[in-house]
Amino acid sequence: MQTERGRNVSGIDECLLEALRLPGARGAAVVDWVSGLALGTAGDAPGGDHEAAACETAELARMVAEYRSFSPLHAAGTPSAVTVPAEQHAGQTPAVEDIIATNSDSYHVLRFVTGALDGTLFLHVWLDRDEGNLALARIRLAEIAGRLVL
Amino acid sequence: MLHRLAAERATGAFTRAGGTLFLVDGQIVHAESPAATGLEVLLTRGSVLSQARWDAALSRWGREGSVAHNLVARGHVPLGLLELCQRTALYDAAFFVLAPSGRLGRFRREVRDWLGAGVGVAPAAVESETARRLALLDRIWPDARIDVLPPASAVGAGRPPTVTDRQLRILQLADGTRTATDIARELGRPAFHTLVELRRLAAGGLVVPAGSGRMEEHVAEAVREGEQSAAVPPADGFAKPDVALLRRLMDALEAL
Repeated sequence: MQTERGRNVSGIDECLLEALRLPGARGAAVVDWVSGLALGTAGDAPGGDHEAAACETAELARMVAEYRSFSPLHAAGTPSAVTVPAEQHAGQTPAVEDIIATNSDSYHVLRFVTGALDGTLFLHVWLDRDEGNLALARIRLAEIAGRLVL
Repeated sequence: MLHRLAAERATGAFTRAGGTLFLVDGQIVHAESPAATGLEVLLTRGSVLSQARWDAALSRWGREGSVAHNLVARGHVPLGLLELCQRTALYDAAFFVLAPSGRLGRFRREVRDWLGAGVGVAPAAVESETARRLALLDRIWPDARIDVLPPASAVGAGRPPTVTDRQLRILQLADGTRTATDIARELGRPAFHTLVELRRLAAGGLVVPAGSGRMEEHVAEAVREGEQSAAVPPADGFAKPDVALLRRLMDALEAL
């Protein structure tokens, strides 16, 4: 879709289809981890049910987003010698960029989306392990997440 | 009634005590509720879109129902962001419209929404999502009074160790006067998300519904009086918000 100014704009569907173009991609979704609702889905879902998968991935995303163990030690831009207490991360959501889960035949990458809805959204891509390239997926998903809200 | 409207592929506005669902060809394209945060707040509070731009878009394109298209086409809001906020706001409002309240809905044919967001959702999908959300809230903490009565912080000085940053912001606003909807709007967050966090805080004993106790008898009486005076619906089809709120409180008390 093009705007009057001639820029390409990416909606939810376009972004999910782009995620499906990753080598080995089986399925993709954008999920709200507070409610567990998939706001958009594409391709196949683990277990065959996008809604059930969204509820489960949302639980994982919520825990990682909220537990202090996963917060960075230093706020971005501060000298590494200075440790910032977790309280000061309020407003700089989310602290975690992505989560990866690996099993014998798949990779799952969950990429948090910043700049929308207070950091409560993430992109989930499910990749075949043999065909999938994890480094590429992380980089591409970061780009897609950025394009979704900019 | 909603199932019949979906099967008939009806177009119009379906109104219950909790708000209104806008249908086009039997699909829900937009939803509004006095208890929900609203798309306007989600877009403007996230500092993507200024309030002035929103107001201008609404006044210029609201009547022809093309606000969404024009905001995106003119580059004021990224398409993805609009879609994400629009879908979030739709489910947020639909939750309050479809939550059980014992009252029937009214349908006004051919009434259109001002947003013009386009893609709709099947009523059955929104109903099952609403049921899932109700079960989710109940699992966290079964007392629904916190949805309706203003929450009051039950925490002493200093920060409790198990609270997230998001919950802390809610606790700071829980003064026994603001309702969950007030808090959600002030934070620019969907109402349902705030309900989830309040149930979690209540489960941890960190908030309590303000004024509970003698409130139950007064509420039951107020609902009866409110229903009598609301027996003739106002001309615009919207139920009075205070009666709706009291109705939800009654249901919450009965469910306890």
